Amino acid sequence: MQVEKFYYDNKSVKMFAYATMLWGIVGMLAGLLIAVQIYLPAANFDLPFTTFGRVRPVHTNAVIFAFVGNGIFMGVYYSLQRLCKARMFSDVLSKIHFWGWQLIIVLAAVTLLAGYTSGKEYAELEWPIDILITLIWVVFGINMFGTLIKRRESHIYVAIWFYIATWVTVAMLHIVNSFEVPFSFMKSYSFYAGVQDALVQWWYGHNAVAFFLTTPYLGVMYYFLPKAANRPVYSYRLSIIHFWALIFLYIWAGPHHLLYTALPDWAQSLGTVFSIMLIAPSWGGMLNGLFTLRGAWDKVREEPVLKFFVVAVTCYGMSTFEGPMLALKSVNAISHYTDWTVAHVHVGALGWNGFMTFGMLYYLIPKLFNTPLYSKKLATNHFWIGTIGIVLYAIPMYWAGFTQATMWKQFTEDGTLKFQFLETVTHIIPMYITRSIGGAIYLSGALLMIYNLIKTIKSGSFVGDEAAESAPLPKVHETHGKQYWHRWIEARPIQMLILSLVAVAIGGIIEMLPTFLIKSNIPTIASVKPYTALELQGRDIYIREGCYLCHSQMIRPFRDEVARYGEYSKAGEFVYDHPFQWGSKRTGPDLARIGGKYPDSWHYNHMWDPRSMSPGSVMPNYPWLFDNKLDTAITPAKIRAMQTLGVPYPEGYDKKANADLVEQAKTIQANLKKDKLDTPADREIVALIAYLQRMGTDIKGQQKTAAAFK
Amino acid sequence: MKNFFKKYSSLKWKVMIVTVLLSPASVFAAGPPVASELSNPLAIVLLVVIIGLLLVIALLANIVIGAAKLNLQRFISEKKKNNTVSKILGVVLLCCITGAAFAADSPATTTAATDTSIAGLSSTSFYALLSVIFLELIILITLLFNLKKLLQSEKLAATIQGDEVAPETAFSGWWEKVNSFVPMKEEAQIDLGHNYDGIRELDNRLPPWWLYGFYVCIIFAAIYLYRYHVAHSAPLSGEELKIELAKADADKQEYLKKAGNSVDENTVKLLTDAKDLDAAKAIFTTICAACHKPDGGGLVGPNLTDDYWLHGGGIKDIFKTIKYGWPEKGMQSWKDNYTPLQIAQLASYVKSLHGTKPAIAKEPQGTLYVEEKAGASDSTKAKTDSLKTNADKKITGAK
Repeated sequence: MQVEKFYYDNKSVKMFAYATMLWGIVGMLAGLLIAVQIYLPAANFDLPFTTFGRVRPVHTNAVIFAFVGNGIFMGVYYSLQRLCKARMFSDVLSKIHFWGWQLIIVLAAVTLLAGYTSGKEYAELEWPIDILITLIWVVFGINMFGTLIKRRESHIYVAIWFYIATWVTVAMLHIVNSFEVPFSFMKSYSFYAGVQDALVQWWYGHNAVAFFLTTPYLGVMYYFLPKAANRPVYSYRLSIIHFWALIFLYIWAGPHHLLYTALPDWAQSLGTVFSIMLIAPSWGGMLNGLFTLRGAWDKVREEPVLKFFVVAVTCYGMSTFEGPMLALKSVNAISHYTDWTVAHVHVGALGWNGFMTFGMLYYLIPKLFNTPLYSKKLATNHFWIGTIGIVLYAIPMYWAGFTQATMWKQFTEDGTLKFQFLETVTHIIPMYITRSIGGAIYLSGALLMIYNLIKTIKSGSFVGDEAAESAPLPKVHETHGKQYWHRWIEARPIQMLILSLVAVAIGGIIEMLPTFLIKSNIPTIASVKPYTALELQGRDIYIREGCYLCHSQMIRPFRDEVARYGEYSKAGEFVYDHPFQWGSKRTGPDLARIGGKYPDSWHYNHMWDPRSMSPGSVMPNYPWLFDNKLDTAITPAKIRAMQTLGVPYPEGYDKKANADLVEQAKTIQANLKKDKLDTPADREIVALIAYLQRMGTDIKGQQKTAAAFK
Repeated sequence: MKNFFKKYSSLKWKVMIVTVLLSPASVFAAGPPVASELSNPLAIVLLVVIIGLLLVIALLANIVIGAAKLNLQRFISEKKKNNTVSKILGVVLLCCITGAAFAADSPATTTAATDTSIAGLSSTSFYALLSVIFLELIILITLLFNLKKLLQSEKLAATIQGDEVAPETAFSGWWEKVNSFVPMKEEAQIDLGHNYDGIRELDNRLPPWWLYGFYVCIIFAAIYLYRYHVAHSAPLSGEELKIELAKADADKQEYLKKAGNSVDENTVKLLTDAKDLDAAKAIFTTICAACHKPDGGGLVGPNLTDDYWLHGGGIKDIFKTIKYGWPEKGMQSWKDNYTPLQIAQLASYVKSLHGTKPAIAKEPQGTLYVEEKAGASDSTKAKTDSLKTNADKKITGAK
C-alpha cells in the first residue's frame, strides 16, 4: 500500500504550552494573594480590583480555564495528531482557537476585576464572553472532528474517547448553565432562580470538575503515561468499562454540593448515591494508569516525568475517593462550608492537574525542540518541592476545616453555642498562614520548571512541522486478533459523539425536569415578595463584590445553625433570586437572615471598617461603596429583565421604580443620621444596606405576626 | 491437606467479602438513623479510624495468609519435617482474630448513650470506640509480627536453596493474585495487537476487587434510596433536625435542673461578686463593646452609664433586653449564645457601669430611670417602664 507523507503541526502545541506556563503562574499568584488576604485584610489594599471578592474568581478561572484549559489543548493538539496519524484539520482554525482562547482569558481577567460577574461560581463570566466561549469551543470541535474524519488510523484510541466526551459535555454544560437575560452590555440575570438555579449551577460546577479537569486529563494520561513509560496500556476492557461508567455516572452527582440545603431531598439522595457509585469508575482510570507502569517502576526512579505522573494519578485516586465520602450526609455535615472542601479541591488541582501538566511539559518541550531536558536534576527537585507544597497546603486546610466545623457545632451543657463565629475564624488563622506557605512553595517549584524549560528551549531548535508518514485510512477496517464489539464504535467518531451525549444527558434531564416542572418541589411562601428597586440594586452590588465567595445564604437544618443564624432556609424563599447566592464556603458567617439583626449604622460602620464593629474580623474594607454613586439610570432595565423572568412587578413598574428607590434610600439615610452618620442617599452603600436588611426577613414577618397572637 | 486448602481459600474469600461489605455498612450506621449519638463529629472520626484500621487489618491479614500459604506450599512440596501443623494453627488463629475484630466493630456502633460526656459523646460510647481502636491496633501489631516471622523464614528457605532467581516476595505474589495480573512473561498472549503511535494495549482482566467493589457501591446506592425514599426508615434532613432539637432540649432541661442555672427574667437578682463581674467584663469587652464601647459609653448602641434607659434600667429589664434583644432597634437576642447565668452576670455588670461617666459618651436616650428602694416590686415597675419607653420612642421618632 502507498505510504503518505505529512507533517504534524507542532507550532500550535508550542503556543498552548507557553500559554499554559504563563497562565499557570498568573493563576497561582492570584491564589497566593487571596490566601494572604484571608489572614491579612490589609493585603486587600482597599481597592475594588484587588479585593478578595474580585480576585478569587480570577484565581479559580485562571487556574481552571487558563492554566488547565491551555494544558488540555496542548495535550490534545499533540496527542490527537499522532493518534490519528494526521495533521490538525485546519491551521487557520488552530490559530483562531489559540488566540480566541487567550482573548477570552484576558477579557475574563479584566471584567472580573472590574466587577462584572454573573455571580455563579466557576461560571462568573458575563454574557458576551459566554457567547465568545461557545464560538471558540465550536472552533475547537470542528478542528478536532475534522482531524478525526481525515485520520489515517482506522480506530480511535481511548484518549480520544475522553476528548470527544469532554467536548460534547462541556458544550452542553456551558450552554445550559449560561442561560441569562442581558439588561446591559455587560450585565445579565440568570434565567433560573433560587433552587433551580442552584441545581443547574452545581450540575454545571460539579461537571466542570468532571469534564474539564478530569476527563480530558484522563485522555492525556492515556497518551503520555504509556509513551513516557514505554509500556502497553494495562487493560483495554477496563478502559471501555470505566470510560462509559464514568461519563454516565458523573453527571448525576452535582446535587452532592447541595446536601442539607433547600434542594428537594430526592435530588440530594441521587447526588449521594451516584457519587458513591462513581468510586469504582474513577479508580478504573487510576488503576489503568498505575498498572501500566508494571515492569517500569525502575524507570520511575530515574525519570521525573514519570514521577510527576505517578503522584498525579495517586492524587486523582485520593480525591476521587474522598469526593464520594464527602457526599455522604454525615461527613458533608462537617465538611461543607469549611476549608475541608478547599483542601479537597486543591489535592485535585495541585496534585492531579498541576502535576499532570508539569509532567506533560517536561515530556513535550524537549520533544518539540529536539533536545534533551536542560536538567533532570532540577526537574526532580521541582517534583519534591511541589510535593512538599501540596502536603503543606492540604494538611493545614483539612485541619482547619475539621476544627472549625467542630467548633461551630459545639454547645455548652446548658444548650448555648460555645463559640461565636468570629472565634472559630481567628482560631484557624495559623492554619491559613501555613497554607499560604505551602502554596508559595508549590509556586516556587513551578517557577523552577519555567527556568528549566526556558534553558531547554534555548539549547534546542524548534521543529515546527514534524515529518511523519503512514498508510491512508483503509476502506475496510482490518481486524487484529480477537475482535471486541466495542471496536465498532471506535471506528466511528460521530456515533461516539452521539452516544456520549446521550450518556451525559440522561442524568441532567432526570434531575432537572422534575425540579422545574413539579410544583411541590418548591413550596411557595405567600409572604415572600420581590425585592424593592433599591434592594435589587444592592443585591447587584453584593454580587459585584463577590460577597457570596465568603458568605453563604443557606441555613441548613442543624441545631447549631438554627441557634446561630435563625430558622433554616426554605425553598420558597428564593423564588426571586436570579441568580441564587447560596455560596459554598463560610469564611464569614451565613447571611440568609442577616436582615434586621443589626441596625443600619452597624452595617455602615462595618462595611467601612469591619474591625471597628467586630474586632479580629478578616473581612476587607469597602471604602469605595461610600463614594460611588448608585447607577439609577439602569434601574428600569433591571426591573424589565426581572419581569421577563417572571418576577411579578406590576405592569409599567420600571418607570416608577426609581421614585420608590429614592424614597427607601432616604429612610435609610435618616436612620443613619440618627446615629450621627452623614451620607448622601445616592451612594452604593445605602443600596447595599437596604439589601442586607431585607435578607431573610420575609418569613420573619410571618413569624412575628404569629408570635403577636400568642 | 487438599481439603484444608479448600476450606482455607473460602475463608480468605469470606474475609474479603466481609471487609468490603462491612465498610459501607458502618458508614450507613454512622448516618442519620441513629443521628443523636453518631452525628457527633468525634464519634464519626473514631468510626472512620476504626473502619480505616479494619481495612488495613484485612489487607495485612491477606498478606499474612498469602505469605503463610507460600510457606506452606514450599513445605509440602519439599515434604520436610512436619512442623507445618504449627503454621496451620497459626493461620487459623490469625483468621479467628481477624474475625473477632469484625465482631468487635458492631457493638461499638450500637452502644447506648449515658450521662457523662466527652466532647458531646457519652463516655460509654467514647471508651467503647476507643477500645475497639486499641484492639485493632493490637491485632495489627500481631499481624505485623507474624508477617515478619513468615518473611524471615521464607528468606531463610530461599538462601538455603540458593534460588535467588525468583525474587517473588509474599507481597508481590499476593498482589499479582489479588489483581489477577497476567504474569509479565505471558504478556504477549493478551496483547491485542493495537498500535496507536507506538502505544500497545493489553487485555488484562478487571481486577476482581475493583469489580466487586463496584457492585457493592451499586447495592449501597439501591439500599440508600430504598431506606430514605421507599421504606422511610431513615430521617430526611427536616426530620433529622426535629430529632436533634428534641434531644438537645431534653438534655438542656435535664442539665438545668441539676445545675441550678435556671435564672430567668422573673427570678434574676443583682450579682455583686467580683468573680461574676469579671466574667461578665470579659464578654462585654469582646462582644458588647462593638456597639456600646468597652467602657459602655455607647456608639451604635446607647450609653449604658447614664440615668436614661430605652427599655428600662432595672436588673430584670436589662436581663430581658440581653436575653430577647430588641431586634428592630439593632439589639440582638443573646439567649442562644450565653447561659442564663452569664446573662445575669452581664446585666449585673451593666448595672455596675452606672455613673462611671466615660470621657466620650453618647447623649442620653430613653427615659429617666430611678432605682427603686429594695423590696419594691420590680415587675410592676418594669411594666410602666416599657410603656414609657414606647411613648418615648414615638417622641424620638418625631424628632
